[in-house]
Amino acid sequence: MMVHLNGIKEIIPEGMTIKTLIEWAKEGDPHLIVEQNGTYIYPSSYDTQSVFENDVIEFINPNLGG
Amino acid sequence: MRRLDDQRYIRQTILPEIGPDGQEALACACVLIAGVGGLGSITCLYLAAAGIGHIKIADGDVVELSNLNRQIIHSEAFLGQPKTISAAIRIKALNSHVRVTPVQERITHFNIDGLLKDVNIIVDGSDNYETRQVLNRASLRHELPFVYGGVQGFNAMVSSFIPGQTACFECIVRGPGIPSDTSPGIIGPTAGIAASFQAMETIKLILGIGKTLKNRMLRISGLDMRLHSLKLVPNPECKACGRI
Repeated sequence: MMVHLNGIKEIIPEGMTIKTLIEWAKEGDPHLIVEQNGTYIYPSSYDTQSVFENDVIEFINPNLGG
Repeated sequence: MRRLDDQRYIRQTILPEIGPDGQEALACACVLIAGVGGLGSITCLYLAAAGIGHIKIADGDVVELSNLNRQIIHSEAFLGQPKTISAAIRIKALNSHVRVTPVQERITHFNIDGLLKDVNIIVDGSDNYETRQVLNRASLRHELPFVYGGVQGFNAMVSSFIPGQTACFECIVRGPGIPSDTSPGIIGPTAGIAASFQAMETIKLILGIGKTLKNRMLRISGLDMRLHSLKLVPNPECKACGRI
């Protein structure tokens, strides 16, 4: 199915959760911020939060410089 | 003197959202600028120019040449000098009526409570996760708003964390990310944009006007010229704000 991941259309396997999507995308930052359709997703929800067709998902690395 | 002040602030007191009463509120406010690097350089100047009555600035560093591409409160004349002194002199030159308290110390769990005496709002000017964690915990303990800003490269984030009303910093940012041996790159306007938003948030929070970044994280991409607002919700498992 198709999702918008960090602004790019991606074809991903069906039935993914946020957790499996992070693994699929090979995101290595353990402190990643995840946004799904404009809303922040709790880390504790990653393995239960499903990813749906046409979802807009952003993996955000926090900006901590000053 | 009063007439001189009236003239100084006339372009903002004519705004119905501010007016003479708002100007008085700004004059009565005390703000902690936690770090006078890229972010603090700009927030200091805008808040002083707006007539914030008391600005405390805390930073343990000295001015280095590599700071000057973005930390525009400092100048070559202050290379090697404490950043807080450099900033205090510049602030007083801009607005001599502002009370400035420079504290040439790195912010830690040990000194933050003392730094927050009389402070109404904490403005983030730090450059690392650990200091922000100290500021966040202090914000929660003292029930003070924490106006977060973070920058890297061409990207920035800004949010206002209000104890009891919003998610806190540690609800959203849970750690320092992937460690790096080198300082991250940054172009000056990135810090300028984020810090300008922080200054705007601070003024609005003091005055109680407008729609602030409560439970919203503004993300700015300078390369793409995109602004994006992420809806935040308090994390029930956050170890800092105790919403378990």
